[in-house]
Amino acid sequence: MTECLTNKKVLTKGNYAIANAAVLAGCQCYFGYPITPQSEIGEFMSGKMQELKRGYVSAESELAAINMTIGAVSTGVKAMTSSSSCAVALMQEGLSYAATDELPVVLVSVMRGGPGLGNIYPSQGDYFQATKGGGNGDYKLIVLAPSTVQECVDLTYKAFYLAQKYRNPTVLLADGLLGQMMEPVEFYEYPYPEIDTSSWALTGAKGRDGRIIRSYGPLADDRCVFLEKLYAKYNTIEENETQWEEINTEDADIILVSFGSTSRNVKTAMKMLREKGIKAGFFRPITLYPFPSKRLHELSQNTKKFITVEVNMGQMVNDVRLAVNGKCPVELINKGVGVPPSAKEIVTRVEDLL
Amino acid sequence: MATQVFKLPESLKGDVKYSFCPGCDHGVAVRLVAEVLDELGVRENTILAASIGCSVTIYDFINVDSLEAPHGRAMAEATGIKRARPDKIVFTYQGDGDFASIGLAESMHAALRGENITAICINNTTYGMTGGQLGPTTLVGQVTTTSPTGRNVDYYGYPIKIAEHIALCDGTAFSARVSLDTVANIKKAKQAIKKAFEVQIHGLGFGFVEILSTCPTNWKMSPEKAHERVRNEMMPVFKPGIYKDVTVQN
Amino acid sequence: MSEKNFIIAGFGGQGVLLAGEVLANAFMLAGKNVTWYPSYGAEMRGGTVNCEIVESDEDVSEVNKPDADFIVALNQASFDRFLSKIKKGGWMIANSSLIKEIKTRTDINYLFAPINKLAEEVGNIKMANILALGLTAKVSKLVTLDNLIQALDIVIPPHRKNLLPLNIKALKIGYEYDLLPV
Repeated sequence: MTECLTNKKVLTKGNYAIANAAVLAGCQCYFGYPITPQSEIGEFMSGKMQELKRGYVSAESELAAINMTIGAVSTGVKAMTSSSSCAVALMQEGLSYAATDELPVVLVSVMRGGPGLGNIYPSQGDYFQATKGGGNGDYKLIVLAPSTVQECVDLTYKAFYLAQKYRNPTVLLADGLLGQMMEPVEFYEYPYPEIDTSSWALTGAKGRDGRIIRSYGPLADDRCVFLEKLYAKYNTIEENETQWEEINTEDADIILVSFGSTSRNVKTAMKMLREKGIKAGFFRPITLYPFPSKRLHELSQNTKKFITVEVNMGQMVNDVRLAVNGKCPVELINKGVGVPPSAKEIVTRVEDLL
Repeated sequence: MATQVFKLPESLKGDVKYSFCPGCDHGVAVRLVAEVLDELGVRENTILAASIGCSVTIYDFINVDSLEAPHGRAMAEATGIKRARPDKIVFTYQGDGDFASIGLAESMHAALRGENITAICINNTTYGMTGGQLGPTTLVGQVTTTSPTGRNVDYYGYPIKIAEHIALCDGTAFSARVSLDTVANIKKAKQAIKKAFEVQIHGLGFGFVEILSTCPTNWKMSPEKAHERVRNEMMPVFKPGIYKDVTVQN
Repeated sequence: MSEKNFIIAGFGGQGVLLAGEVLANAFMLAGKNVTWYPSYGAEMRGGTVNCEIVESDEDVSEVNKPDADFIVALNQASFDRFLSKIKKGGWMIANSSLIKEIKTRTDINYLFAPINKLAEEVGNIKMANILALGLTAKVSKLVTLDNLIQALDIVIPPHRKNLLPLNIKALKIGYEYDLLPV
């Protein structure tokens, strides 16, 4: 895999697609530690970054990898790390720091089974880890969830852009299925404007006093102005950047909600239900934070039921319930770990819930 | 005619009140780093990865671009900074707990990779900011709040000799241990700090200085007695000296 | 919806994943939507390696389907494991050099071919995987020889390009293998 700019379709693995898109997005540094099922990202980067005379470090741990990434992005360049589940757990402290330091870290999280060591099979068990965080304090990460290998490319570009635009750590939340599968994809030029980082980046205090990037300092008064400003930023992100896909929702009696690789089978199940005369709709959050709560709430006025389909024990279902706020029932079809339930199985289980 | 013989280094902020305890050697160490940055003319091209502990407050006093790292991760953040901006002078300023306990993996691996980074480590044999607990450099027999009857090696194990360990790493260009207990030793300390930056500037590898320092508050001693302790108790175990210098032929 | 899926399976080292990649590339070159999904990690140790290729005129409806239109089994373990997964009317393409010719299911089609032996005749037993693709192309009528040859050129890395002619030869031997009535 030596792809860079192709401008035509090439067949590639999700992991390579993410790595190559990061290179094309202008990622100057990559730091990582191996873990299945995302090791191809680091393998690709080790060769490519050297070839392009950019930075690559085989970090001594995920703790080091996330903090190396923080160091690199603090100087205004684009940088990323990638990992999976139990190892992303080790990065939570760094992510909390990056959020409060307002640093545009990009983390690619390729989910595998958990908890604990878990296993290497596909999973969506880190929805909470990505959207609610395991780090301390009040913070939010922007979380983008691709469902195809092409979206791995599109959303990797977007992750770098949103991270810098809002100075906020951003997670590309893929899974073992997407990471390991191949699909035809097109690598096009980075489509977003470059963000000027000169007003805050650490570049040496030439002709000025030194800058400090740090968590907020001692309380000036009883209110925490810093956190209020941070949350005002999150409000802006929610207003501007919430992204989702919906099909056949307008007249739907039931709306199937699913994200990431699982949503592929759910979309097929929705079509199969329609063929059976059941008015099913399909709703796929693309940004898991910001979550499309407002749109789900609107849809809840006219639909009879939501059913989330997830490969975990039921995580996103909670956010859908919050969005719907009791207006109609929200049920769950799930599988703990592994490849998503088949479209046929989803159809059967939906019918059981009708 | 009056001649100015002492002034505030340009690399220090002039309008800030130091928050270190009276008699603490941190103030001297920070000043030495600032003087070295002045003398090398690199203030405007330098980035600091600060740590957690009393050492973190350096960024309130030193006038360079600074990033606050989580506890133990200063060396990882410094690595990231240096890889992103290889033309910058990058240094860390850490305590012994940050450098040699929670951050030991980051410290050793930065040295093994031969990162062109300078690391200054303050060794005061205790966790100062949290109230004087047993740390990685706490001396055998030393009483702390978590070794109330003294560091008994059967129970607590041994302290680490940091400068010696860092010197063993092939990527290390310079490793020294210095003390701030006398004017002569302060001068030597400054030379070592300067050397640790010079090896970085010349791309020779990892530059490291361990500074034996006082913690009068947690040691419950006067500054003078504290320096006596550095001389009489610390220096026999943590021997000052240059443990590695690739610029000198053996 | 016109959508077909293939599972290629065998021992580690038989080039199963690579053969799948060639097939998937050939579908891409034909303008189809396609997915390739491998067994990976611990699943690969000790047992069979396999990958699934789904080709479709529309978006691929699902990855890792519960059943398959075509199984290419290069060893006995794969034959045993995937026989029950074949859809009614689907195909089992089996390497009779390593697999016993027993037809326990009567609702599917079989092609037993001595793939290892044929590959040895081509000049390299490692060509068995590509030879099997030739058989698959002939049986399925879903992919052209031209697209497979172009796909080989994409998948074979630059430092192995000297093996391209031999691969093409194996592909053609497979494609031209006299299909006995089944």
